[in-house]
Amino acid sequence: MANRVQIPTNNSALIAMIADEDTVTGFFAGVGNVDLRRNTNYLIVDSKTTVKAIEDAFKEFTTREDIAIVLISQYVANMIRFLVDSYNKAVPAILEIPSKDHPYDPAHDSVLSRVRYLFSSESVSSGRR
Amino acid sequence: MGTTAAAETEGRGEAVGEEDGAILQLLDSLDGYISLMGSLSSSLRQGWLELSSARHSMGNSRISSTLFDMKPHSSATTVDLTVSTGESPSHDADQAMQPHFSLLKWGSRGDEKSPSVEVDGKTPSQASSCSGRTSCGLLLLKTDDSDEGGISATIYPAVAADNQVRKKRSKALSMFGALVPPKLRVAQGSFETSLEAIIEIANTRSTILSALGRLQTVDLRS
Repeated sequence: MANRVQIPTNNSALIAMIADEDTVTGFFAGVGNVDLRRNTNYLIVDSKTTVKAIEDAFKEFTTREDIAIVLISQYVANMIRFLVDSYNKAVPAILEIPSKDHPYDPAHDSVLSRVRYLFSSESVSSGRR
Repeated sequence: MGTTAAAETEGRGEAVGEEDGAILQLLDSLDGYISLMGSLSSSLRQGWLELSSARHSMGNSRISSTLFDMKPHSSATTVDLTVSTGESPSHDADQAMQPHFSLLKWGSRGDEKSPSVEVDGKTPSQASSCSGRTSCGLLLLKTDDSDEGGISATIYPAVAADNQVRKKRSKALSMFGALVPPKLRVAQGSFETSLEAIIEIANTRSTILSALGRLQTVDLRS
């Protein structure tokens, strides 16, 4: 087993949310954060929210150092699927969650898609050997 | 010549063993990931239902995002992050990192269990009187109801910590008003349960990505 070095990072990181109002409302009481510049750690997505706004929020949350996990409703992730699937960092972790009107679909989950891709490329390369 | 072939076979065997290990870890983690997603869906559904019930009793405008506290404030619940780095070579530095997430609910670790000790079969809430705090913050309780007729004193862990968490929970809901319906408090509990599932999912995701990285590394080497 390879030696593993534990690096304690600066603790107390935040959970960011890009989701519908009910989900954000439910979580806000516990994880809501507003800094001195009135920057928040959430984006409420409704019918008027543009794809650009979602993309900007995703890019902002995935580059902030104080965010450890980004929760994104799966139907919202589908709107920016290319961006979500091309994200490959370990931190912050991007988790696709169900929403009230859109249940979780494993077929669209980016983590499971990467596993499927690996196994499909494995089966191709093992066929070539 | 013979030793070179033997060394090659041994190396290939090691690679196959490593690959098998990574595949097993990956499949285990995938199973865990999908089960946890199911649990998360269930707790979220419960939370949404309770939130809707609370809205029904209080009115839509009383529980909405317009009431969010926009004054600068820090999150009551945060995530503690520890990163492990493996020595095995990886083509991607990010894949070599395996973060571990743990929840700090209401400013304390979610996985801490406050130990409780009974006094003559009574829990702290049932004890007859409270004598005060020790200097280390423990609560010293005395009961006069013991069968032996004497006073038995037992040091309990800080019940004050539970009270603190209860206060923080109530404060978090205060943006919806001074009096909130029980359904809203129950919804808060459901979303807390969801947060715990989310942390487990994040850790499982981290294991999956780590196993994927190992598989890709073994594949490149072979």
